[in-house]
Amino acid sequence: MILAGWTVTELGLLFAGGAALITALYLLRMRRRELVVPFAALWQRVHRQSDARRLWKHLRRLLSWLLQILLLALLVLALGDPRPDHWLREPVTLAIVVDRSASMGAPADQDPGSPAPTPSVQPQDPRSPADASGSTAPTRLDAALARARAELLALGPADRALVLAAGPEIAVLSPLSRDPAALLRGLDGLTSTAGEADLPRALALAGHALDGQPGPKILLLTDGALDEPALAAIATCAQGPVPCAIHQLPGPAANVAITAFAARRYPGDRGRVEVLAELHNLGPDPAPILLEVLADGLSVGRVELELAPGEQRRQLLPGLDAARTRLLARITPKPGADPALLGLPGDDLAYAVVPPLRPFNVALITDGTNLFLEAALLALGDHVQLSGVPVADARPDHPALRAADLIFVDPGPEPLPDLLPADKHLIVFDPWRHPGAASPIALAREVPRPFITEQLQNHPILAHIVLKDVNIRRGTTFSLEPGDVALLRALGEPIAVLRDADPSLIVFGFDPRQTDLPLRTAFPLLVANLVEHFERAAPGFVASVPVGARRTLEIAAFGLPAAGVTHVEVTGPEGPQAISQRLPVEDRRVRLRATEPGIYRMRAEDGPDPDATVLFAVNQADHSASQLHDRLPELSISRQRAPADPPAPAPLSQGPLWTLLLLLAVALLALEWATYHRRWTV
Amino acid sequence: MSWARRLFSGRAPAAAPAQAPDLFDEAFLARLELLQVVARRVFRGRQRAERRSRKVGSGLEFADHRDYSPGDDIRGLDWNVLMRLGHTLIRLYEEDEDLPIRIAVDVSASMHTRGARKLRYAHQVAAALAYVGLANLDRVGLTCMSAAHHRTLPALRGKGRIFRVFEFLRGAPAGGPTDLRAACARLAAESAQPGLTVVLSDFYDLDGAFDGLNLLRFRKHEPIAIQILDPIEARPALAGLRGDVRLIDCEGAQAADVTLTPATLSAYADAHERFCEHLAQSCRSRGIPYFRAEIDVPFDELVLRLFRLGGLLR
Repeated sequence: MILAGWTVTELGLLFAGGAALITALYLLRMRRRELVVPFAALWQRVHRQSDARRLWKHLRRLLSWLLQILLLALLVLALGDPRPDHWLREPVTLAIVVDRSASMGAPADQDPGSPAPTPSVQPQDPRSPADASGSTAPTRLDAALARARAELLALGPADRALVLAAGPEIAVLSPLSRDPAALLRGLDGLTSTAGEADLPRALALAGHALDGQPGPKILLLTDGALDEPALAAIATCAQGPVPCAIHQLPGPAANVAITAFAARRYPGDRGRVEVLAELHNLGPDPAPILLEVLADGLSVGRVELELAPGEQRRQLLPGLDAARTRLLARITPKPGADPALLGLPGDDLAYAVVPPLRPFNVALITDGTNLFLEAALLALGDHVQLSGVPVADARPDHPALRAADLIFVDPGPEPLPDLLPADKHLIVFDPWRHPGAASPIALAREVPRPFITEQLQNHPILAHIVLKDVNIRRGTTFSLEPGDVALLRALGEPIAVLRDADPSLIVFGFDPRQTDLPLRTAFPLLVANLVEHFERAAPGFVASVPVGARRTLEIAAFGLPAAGVTHVEVTGPEGPQAISQRLPVEDRRVRLRATEPGIYRMRAEDGPDPDATVLFAVNQADHSASQLHDRLPELSISRQRAPADPPAPAPLSQGPLWTLLLLLAVALLALEWATYHRRWTV
Repeated sequence: MSWARRLFSGRAPAAAPAQAPDLFDEAFLARLELLQVVARRVFRGRQRAERRSRKVGSGLEFADHRDYSPGDDIRGLDWNVLMRLGHTLIRLYEEDEDLPIRIAVDVSASMHTRGARKLRYAHQVAAALAYVGLANLDRVGLTCMSAAHHRTLPALRGKGRIFRVFEFLRGAPAGGPTDLRAACARLAAESAQPGLTVVLSDFYDLDGAFDGLNLLRFRKHEPIAIQILDPIEARPALAGLRGDVRLIDCEGAQAADVTLTPATLSAYADAHERFCEHLAQSCRSRGIPYFRAEIDVPFDELVLRLFRLGGLLR
């Protein structure tokens, strides 16, 4: 404490003189006034009754004198203009950049020597550690906020600060100010976001804000789990003109994340879905986990997994009973496993929307005589759209063939078309009926009256059917190539072959017209199995949109009409805090930025189908965001580390001290005035 | 420089001396003539007056007959009875006599505080009572009494003597302690003929306030106590007194250091009220009329209304 006003000697003399004067006046004041009364005897009688309080009366007199002396002391001290030592240092302008990326929501290390920061997340937040592990462990963001508060409380009266929050978007929590209360208010309610922090922009903004300010200093509060751009930004900041200090908030690196999650509906069984989840163990230890798929809060599928350190696994959950379109995947530790191995809670959840079944276009190249085959195809579901193409018109540029997902080639007695589409799935019947045909598979030999002796029973194409006693007038067998699968054999020779490639090919070595197969119940089942096989091979999964940076997305990928739409309205995530944004569509694409995982709704405002609405999922689904390893050691430059211990709070951070002393003196004066008029003091 | 003098002397400013007042105006005197003093008892008088007495004599109201005795004035013979019945009877009449009234005014120092307002008020009441008595042809005497002074105005008769009453009151001495017992004893000794004795005092005498009145009663007087009170002195909280003071008795008793707080002032007011109530109760228990007269009550209201309500005037 330094006296910037009067010296101690001057103050001492002034206090001594003032105290003497007060004492003298007090003694004079304490001389009793003489009052002439007509009936003093009665006064004495009353006075004798209150003698018991004489000691308190003496104390009351002394208290009054002490109040006056204290008042004088405060005034004298105010003249001295006392100032704490740290007020005299050069002013500092501090920019605090708080990393609020997803990794900051992970648990922080517990330092037994320091008080634990107060958890700021709400218990009902599904991304909170409490939800995942059942504990209320402080997160790295809590530790960062505690450190930021300590830094703000340590500011001197001439210091100024601003606080920035670096998430996928940059937020100025508190503008440049010297009011600690306003600065601290900016930190209230800050939570971690999904996705990576945009540190390059945050550090650049902090640097610009401090330009020209006295004593500029940047303090970055981060856990070190950063992506490449953030590391580069830190390196740039460290080499810049403004001192850039980093306070690291370490925590356990163990984490298991859902990095992909999608679902699709079975074409033949719309009450069931197939789910694909990609899991990644980013921690150093094996992770026994339980993957659970929920629909409307009810579990529809679960599987126990054991992920090795660093393992990334795609897990398919087929045949889940779920009529709903919204699915939620959640991973939890197996009973008895350490909950901490899940690490970051934000990536333990993933959302998926089951996309609607799109039409499956089937083209039939036929001479028009196989009504059994046409009837079997027409009997399939509404989503199968059948187009007939005469054999003479069967060229690859035929519109029906170009739009087809699957082509049945059944020319009958006519020769096979010279040119078959090379980029479509094909099912060809009796390709070698005419020698020299352009068959996609090599001929082995022609067989008169073949009969099927072997059948690949386990293959889904032949599920629920038996073809051993089918009567065939004539047929051909094929020469297999590596990778070919013989679905049917006649005395060991393949008579039906599956070439599972891209595109796939199935060839039957006989013409159905020359068999009694169309008369059997197995025929429509075989046709249905064939179509379903190729439907399942079609990519029905719709990838979710990752949170974070703005991305350009084709609206057709979501199922909206591509042409004629100029604006879409995106609302989400579903819940009470859903936000709507109106986005322009340019070249059938929209630039979308989602900051929160969840289910979003996209509505076309115009176009051929105005008000058409589709759902899509937004997930964290980012390996770098789920990565909790400290990457700061990868920086080759020397960086300045902030002291580990938080600074001591400033005893007085605002205004000159003498004003406070004067205020205290006025308060004492008011107290003395009030007590005097109530006769508590004299 | 009064504040400096007050600061260093510490004594409250002395009360201004009582000015010789114009005690009554003409209108008030005219209203007083309509009143008569009601005597609770009928006393023997020396001269004829307008007050009925036990004495049977030459009054106007017929009282009784008695047999004629030699030597009786034959003018009192009832001739009608003699002529009808033949008996010689003498007519007896009630004789109207005067009332001896003694008005004793306490002139001690306690009546002289705060500008002698109580003493002036007592003078006014005494003059009013004296005027009423004189106007009714009663014999009225006055006494100013304290432990230091005792001056007596002999009994007067006739309304024209009121000015002597005024002169006596103006020239009466004041001061000295209150000693009602001794003063009343001397007053009783001076009065050869008992009568109505009105004592005007604040009765600020813890020991002898009632003893003096009782002594008068013992000497066949009919005492009437009129306690003159200053409301400020009875309830000092009204004066706004605060702080540490040294209370000095105006009659020279021991001083007392007192811290005047609301509680202390309230306790004094309660004690004062208990003292007055005890005096009133003592008087009533022995048939002594007691009146409390506070000086903030207008004087004419006290005389015209309170005395009527108390039965002193009719």
